[in-house]
Amino acid sequence: MNPYVPILAIGAIGFGFAVFSVAIAFITGPKRYNRAKADAYECGIEPSPSAAGGGRFPVKYFLTAMLFIVFDIEIVFLYPWAVTFDQLGLFGLVEMILFIATVFVAYTYVWRRGGLEWD
Amino acid sequence: MLTTPSFEYLLLSPMLIILAAAVIGVLAEAFLDRNHLPVIQLFISVGAILLALIQIYRIKSSSSTSAAIGSVVIDKATIYLQGTILIIGLLALLLISDQEQFVAQASAIPGSREEQESTSKGSIQTEIYPLLSFALAGMMLFTCASDLITLFVALEVFSLPLYLLAGLSRRRRLLSQEAALKYFLLGAYSSAFFLFGAAFLYGISGSVYLVDISSAVSGGYGNDVFVLIGLIFISVGLLFKISAVPFHAWTPDVYQGAPTSVTAFMAAATKVAAFGAILRIFYVVFSPIANQWRPIISVIAIITMVFGSAVAIAQRDVKRMLAYSSIAHAGFILTAVLALNKSGLSAALFYLTTYGLSTLAAFGIITLIRDATGEVTDLNKWAGLGKKSPLIAGSFAFLLLSFAGIPLTSGFIGKFAIFSAAYETGNIAVVVFGVLSSALAAFFYIRVILLMFVAQSQNDSISIAIPSVKSRIAIGATTAATVILGLFPSLLLNITQSFSIFIK
Amino acid sequence: MINSKGMVAQLLGQDPGWVIALKGLLIFIFCVVLTIMAVWGERRIVARMQMRLGPNRVGIFGIIQGLADGVKLALKEDLIPKTADKIVFIIAPIISATTCFMAFAVIPLTGEVSFFGHKTVMQLTDLPVGVLYVLAIASVGVYGIVLAGWSSGSTYPLLGGLRSSAQVISYEVAMALSLVAVFIYAGSMSTSDIVVAQDRWWYAVILFPSFAIYCISMVGETNRAPFDLAEAEGELVGGFHTEYSSLKFALFFLAEYINILAVSSLATTLFLGGYRAFPGLGFTETWLGGWFTLFWFFAKVLIFFFVFVWLRGTLPRLRYDQFMQFGWKTLIPVSLAWILIVSTLRVMSDQGAPQYLIFGFAFAVVLIYLVISNYSDNAKAKLATDYKNFTPENPEFPIPISNRTEQVIQIRDEAKK
Repeated sequence: MNPYVPILAIGAIGFGFAVFSVAIAFITGPKRYNRAKADAYECGIEPSPSAAGGGRFPVKYFLTAMLFIVFDIEIVFLYPWAVTFDQLGLFGLVEMILFIATVFVAYTYVWRRGGLEWD
Repeated sequence: MLTTPSFEYLLLSPMLIILAAAVIGVLAEAFLDRNHLPVIQLFISVGAILLALIQIYRIKSSSSTSAAIGSVVIDKATIYLQGTILIIGLLALLLISDQEQFVAQASAIPGSREEQESTSKGSIQTEIYPLLSFALAGMMLFTCASDLITLFVALEVFSLPLYLLAGLSRRRRLLSQEAALKYFLLGAYSSAFFLFGAAFLYGISGSVYLVDISSAVSGGYGNDVFVLIGLIFISVGLLFKISAVPFHAWTPDVYQGAPTSVTAFMAAATKVAAFGAILRIFYVVFSPIANQWRPIISVIAIITMVFGSAVAIAQRDVKRMLAYSSIAHAGFILTAVLALNKSGLSAALFYLTTYGLSTLAAFGIITLIRDATGEVTDLNKWAGLGKKSPLIAGSFAFLLLSFAGIPLTSGFIGKFAIFSAAYETGNIAVVVFGVLSSALAAFFYIRVILLMFVAQSQNDSISIAIPSVKSRIAIGATTAATVILGLFPSLLLNITQSFSIFIK
Repeated sequence: MINSKGMVAQLLGQDPGWVIALKGLLIFIFCVVLTIMAVWGERRIVARMQMRLGPNRVGIFGIIQGLADGVKLALKEDLIPKTADKIVFIIAPIISATTCFMAFAVIPLTGEVSFFGHKTVMQLTDLPVGVLYVLAIASVGVYGIVLAGWSSGSTYPLLGGLRSSAQVISYEVAMALSLVAVFIYAGSMSTSDIVVAQDRWWYAVILFPSFAIYCISMVGETNRAPFDLAEAEGELVGGFHTEYSSLKFALFFLAEYINILAVSSLATTLFLGGYRAFPGLGFTETWLGGWFTLFWFFAKVLIFFFVFVWLRGTLPRLRYDQFMQFGWKTLIPVSLAWILIVSTLRVMSDQGAPQYLIFGFAFAVVLIYLVISNYSDNAKAKLATDYKNFTPENPEFPIPISNRTEQVIQIRDEAKK
């Protein structure tokens, strides 16, 4: 059998459970409407009409996300190399050192230009 | 069991040198003193391009399909195109290194205090040099990629730096940023089209290599619809890059918004690279089914020529006018794709070179015409320029005549070569429309010339900047090339004829 | 006995449908029950560490406290704030809860067992890219967090979701890099093959730096103390699930604990020999049958879980910038360097390099390490003196670069007055 089918099975079980939970809580829980309850929670002070920054993610966040993608792509290349490491031998090692060094250049650039400072 | 792949490093060396220079440039950005960076970066970039040109010269007569495990084809046409791209890159670099056109700090919000601070400090976004090198390397790879994945990677490697460069103009920041965003979004969209088409071609042939796709196509796989879908979608991605109608919408905005020297580079080099890939794909892969795509490309070529020439008439901005003119020129070169014979390829190579050099010169001259707020691109203010500086206005007029294809200019020779090649293989309709739209285009080129020399100037606010040595070399060399190739075209025609060979 | 690569995949290929369905159900129940017990266990252990008793009322030793909490949550009102994006608000916990179970599909829980007369292993499926699959599923799980934070339409959840996802993706890089050395040694990404490859030495021993990096980043990955910045009560109330109540909140809670169990299981599989017995106790499998291997697997996972609780009871929370800098500026370069060292040494020994070359390489690595650590110590010392020498007249105040221009301008403006 296709090895991916069992994944669907457990996914279906988990999904069913999650949907069931959400649905059952709707039935079992009380429903006592109260205007304050439907407001956003801000520790008791009058809530702001929308989330900070109009509910948008700040652009600095996307910088982190992009750095993540850079390294994720690096990992995507590292994994197949690691699995076939013994067959590729010295050639693979040299190529990978060059590759890692190139990505590392970008990494040092980001570091030096303050891309890795959080506040 | 895996076998260790082998590479022919000598044949790849021009690209590797440029890529290495880009990486070194990034390192320099990270560690070196910012005051010395402009000089150092210029030195690195120029040095790398010269080295790469030497390498190109050394490998000029070699060819190989296995330079990088079948992903790259080095043949005569590749070497010619790469050399052209490098020369254009070198000249554009000289224009670009006139720092005044670039923003001090790209990340600052336009008009903010942060921006004023960095401007008054005189800081410069020297990242333009590594970005330009990356773009150059991507373009070089684009001309020689022989599998769909390499083609796509090269497409992105040369596009992404250009998106950034388009947004770095020092003046009219918002316009520049808008241009960058438009370029990026539309470019991403066209890349998606390209990938979609690539997926179809992979689907019918079971391989990403152009050779295999070519044999699958000519073998008549019975899936002609899918071949056609793949072909059309891939073409959309590529035609976007050469700004053929109807995929041209970004061109005027980006040409106008980007720093003028970047526009020069973009207009010249992108065309060469993208046409390199288009020519390769249509000549090598799809030539067996030419009957199926010829009508489509013919129509696109015709509307591109006519539309570009017609809309250019209405433009009041020099950069936008040249943008539409470049659209029209894309149509002319597409005619060479239709020709599908050796003389067509040779004509395309000739046209790309001469057009690239003339465009560089034209945009280089635009950088010189200024007033208190920066460059003046409004055509009305150009009135009477001929009296102020006959030399500059004269050269610009000559370049426009070359664009129009008036005899004794390189533009004429190029157009003649292309049209005669297309005529040989029976694309008569396209040739007729090409000649007609050339005549149409001549109208607005001549109108600008009249404006410069005959019309009275309304005000004296504009001045002509004294070009620096670097700009002088760039503009002088490109203008001179346009003159010489117009008078003695055989100098270059002989070369393009011997270099117009694609191998599979 | 399973002793060669690919055997598990072959064995699992013969599973009939009912075995798969039953196994899936068992794994699901295993996760849920373990979570309920883990909640109770954590509270008891933390209580002991803080000289308290912890929950001891519901059942013997309070053992079904977790279940009682669940029932209580089911009877609470299900609130949706009026600023929320309703559909996404409901989908987010479902994404979180669904994905967390899916990670368990490729974890080998036992060696060869007889399952109602059918010869198989307690592992739902065996993929050639098993570990990659776990990482992928973990990444999809981040959507639950981001969407929950965003869809609440409220400030604290937005910031919490932001932090949480930034944290998860940052530490995922270090985590994924730490696994490369394991793949080099095992020559496979399949979880069962990696366990098979650990028949002589656990990778925690021979690849200790990888193991250490994995352990640190798995705590960051699951948003647990001391890296639980997303739920920093003092700053962000409950983080991304502030606006959630009732069973939707319970689903996030469940997902968090199952994620802890999942990363612990992965650590067990990749570094501690999976279901293999502790050294010297290998005879148990032959004596007591294949099912006994489940005990060893459990024991190892629970040790990890205890460490999670221990960390929570011991360490104060990190500051956000310190935390991110630790991930990006320490863990990632160290992982990359370690990958290069491991691979170089392995190539050297494969190619039969002479001993002195290997020792020379090792010596060079140590030397480089010393130089770098000396350099960074100097930098730290300089920073400390800079702080000491700060005066308003000397605006070269060592503050983070991003704030620098603002502050310098401020100080200069004040000096002018």
